[in-house]
Amino acid sequence: MIRRNWKIELPLHLMLVPGLVVVLLFSYGPMAGVVIAFQNYIPVKGIFGSEWVGLEHFRYVYGLPETMTVLRNTITISSMKIVSGLLAPLVTALLLNEIGKRIFKRTVQTVIYMPHFLSWVIMAGILLDVLSPTTGIVNRFMEWLGLSKVFFLGNADWFPYVLVGTDTLKEFGFGTIVYLAAITGINPALYEAAVLDGANRWKQTLHVTLPGIVPIIVLLLTLSLGNVLNAGFDQVYNLYSPSVYSTGDILDTYVYRIGLGNGQYGVATAVGLFKSVISLVLISVSYFLAYRLANYRIF
Amino acid sequence: MAAKKLKVWALVALVLIVAAVTACSKDNGGKASNASDSPSASSSPSAGSSPAETAPDGPTGKYDPPIEVTTVRSINAGVKFQEGDSLDSNIWTKDFESALGIKVTNKWKVSDQQYQNKMAVTMASGDLPDFMLVDAQQFQVLVQADTIADLTDVYAKYASDLTKKSIEEGGGLRMKAATVNGKIMGIPADGGGRDDAHSIYIRTDWLQNLGLEPPKTMDDVIKIALAFTKDDPDKNGKNDTYGLSLDMSLFNGWSGLEGFFNGYHAYPFNPTKGTGTNLNFIKGADGKAVWADTQPEVKTALGKLQELFKAGAIYPEFSVIDGVKSGELVTSGKVGMAYGAFWVPTWPINNMKKDVPGFDWGIYPIVSADDKPAMAQSTGGLPSKFYVVSKKSKHPEAPFILLNRVVDKLYGNFDIQFHTVVKGDVTYGLHMYPPINGSFAEKNQEAASAVQEALQTNNTSQLNEEQKQYYDQVQQYNAGDLGMWASYKLWAPGGVFDVLGQYKKNNLIFQSAYTGNPTPTMIAKGPSLRDEQVRTFTAIIMGSQPVDYFDEWVAKWMESGGKDILDEVNASGQVQ
Repeated sequence: MIRRNWKIELPLHLMLVPGLVVVLLFSYGPMAGVVIAFQNYIPVKGIFGSEWVGLEHFRYVYGLPETMTVLRNTITISSMKIVSGLLAPLVTALLLNEIGKRIFKRTVQTVIYMPHFLSWVIMAGILLDVLSPTTGIVNRFMEWLGLSKVFFLGNADWFPYVLVGTDTLKEFGFGTIVYLAAITGINPALYEAAVLDGANRWKQTLHVTLPGIVPIIVLLLTLSLGNVLNAGFDQVYNLYSPSVYSTGDILDTYVYRIGLGNGQYGVATAVGLFKSVISLVLISVSYFLAYRLANYRIF
Repeated sequence: MAAKKLKVWALVALVLIVAAVTACSKDNGGKASNASDSPSASSSPSAGSSPAETAPDGPTGKYDPPIEVTTVRSINAGVKFQEGDSLDSNIWTKDFESALGIKVTNKWKVSDQQYQNKMAVTMASGDLPDFMLVDAQQFQVLVQADTIADLTDVYAKYASDLTKKSIEEGGGLRMKAATVNGKIMGIPADGGGRDDAHSIYIRTDWLQNLGLEPPKTMDDVIKIALAFTKDDPDKNGKNDTYGLSLDMSLFNGWSGLEGFFNGYHAYPFNPTKGTGTNLNFIKGADGKAVWADTQPEVKTALGKLQELFKAGAIYPEFSVIDGVKSGELVTSGKVGMAYGAFWVPTWPINNMKKDVPGFDWGIYPIVSADDKPAMAQSTGGLPSKFYVVSKKSKHPEAPFILLNRVVDKLYGNFDIQFHTVVKGDVTYGLHMYPPINGSFAEKNQEAASAVQEALQTNNTSQLNEEQKQYYDQVQQYNAGDLGMWASYKLWAPGGVFDVLGQYKKNNLIFQSAYTGNPTPTMIAKGPSLRDEQVRTFTAIIMGSQPVDYFDEWVAKWMESGGKDILDEVNASGQVQ
């Protein structure tokens, strides 16, 4: 019996090989490069020829005046993104689920999914015009409502919210589809039972739909916690300017400006390693919590 | 069941084949680049023994059998190719192969925006081409790492007289920068020139509409900027114009502030997206260098800019737009004045006169705030880029052989078919194609005076072919071809080079007192100091910080690394 299973499964295992090779080659192989974080790395001398400097790069980064601000920005922005990136698609999915008209539902789904495919370079060009205080449509509208104008991209107080808002706008369509798929997977018998018990639409949502997609919510949340230090390089790099560095500069853009642009590989790697360690800790903790609280396991 | 099994196996086979094919092609790529690393690895053992084979023994000559050298390229969006041409194959590469026996292979090509980073990655990988263009900082890193060749002997033996002239012209500043501990480690690619000094570009039709004269003093500049903002210079009845063009770069060849600051005898320079290590120093009375950006004159000029901003003369969103966007504002007729380098007539304002009847621009020398004449700053004096040759290269002399050929075709015995081809409306700048290029610091200035003289005497016999071409373009403009406006503004009287010529004749060009490479503290702290500076200047201009905040910033700069930079600069022995 076991031999027979093996025969059937062998091809499937073989199919894994190319993927495995790619992962080993491009994900595990480069990990050896983290030693650069402890070296005064000179590219052409290579890893073996460069001088070892211990923790100097970490001390250097810690000593930079902006590091703490940048770290705080990163965590603030990505936390807000995680929350709004969870709520916006969830609410949209629940609302769309209530709509009977298939065509309308599909259209909305597609339209909100579209921005996901635009690159941040293009989005930034559009946003620069849309959010402009002199000519932008958003400020025109606010003016019409009697509100004062806001320099969204140039005002340090507003900038983080602009980042969160535009990121959500761009990505919530994608999340919505994931949640909609999860909702489709709920057993219709549960709804029938709820109706028999006298539950209205709201109660059905509360007691059938939501519990039904909790595993997916927990999964996405767990995964996104691992990204707490990735606040979105593409987006910030294309939208920020010197006047919003104080609240909009994140770890990645900061390292890019001081590091790679000036050939400071050791410093850039040190920051990368720091990010990875924090992410590993966060994702482990959140996974443990998810298991304990929601009894949810990925593996 | 059997059929299903077959399908599964077929799928597996397909996946494996795809994987194998990908792996194979990777292999081939690897082999190809290995081969190009050592172009003549297989032929070199026999090179010494076989008499039939030749190689250049001086500035000229031909390799037989042909050799292959590798390089890498950046692609400028403005460079156009005729059908069938590319950076890999064009009139130059064909000429190199037939006349010199050198096949130049490009290991990679990226846009010039990404070149610096891609170069950094290539240096990190250690897989250097035979020769390549690097910036000043990468040059220093490569010298320290001892991976680029000492070119002292090769330069003496293989560089032609013209090549030597191009490198040593202008007081030898370029050569000094390329020399490390007495050895020539690179071929300076730029520098020596002073043509980046700013002029003032003003919409003359707006001046006329408002009955204004071109500026004589900085007060005039401010008066014009305010009038352009408030007095409806375009007569459309709307308050939709700005006086002075500015964008987030702050310092730039287009709508930068250098010329404005120079008017107040201030010489700051630290562009937002620059390296943060190309700084201007002034030699003080005690012989010590001080940093130009922290001088009190800078504060005065910032105060004036703040007033302009408050009055609405500067685009309120300048802090979030880049040069392309500020260029769009100007070409759409919203801004009437800008400071800029000599190339501004070719971009962004090149087509305005042709596209919109009535639009016109005047070019004026920068003006001073007092009775002391203004000095225009030039940061192009020191080379910012070098060609370097990998130590592993089998033919370290090949780049010189190529360079000799290029300067001969473009400058020595000018050959138009290697420089520019015009087909229909499109101009192809073939002179941008070669992988290595030389330049003569005063070439454009000389061309302008030659063209102007010919225009006066109607005698073109003294012009070389390139200058004749400029002359023809000016004549075409005079005959009514508005597409030639940029050429007219470059070469004809009243153009950019008239202004620059005045600066040069009267010694009104400021250059940094420090001629060395970036110091260690500049490299380590320059970028974060640059960010702080740009933030401070932007905040002061926008009025979110008072002008006195400048003093606070100066103190902070000194504390957080500035003092070390000044010490290093003063200890370098390169303050002149």
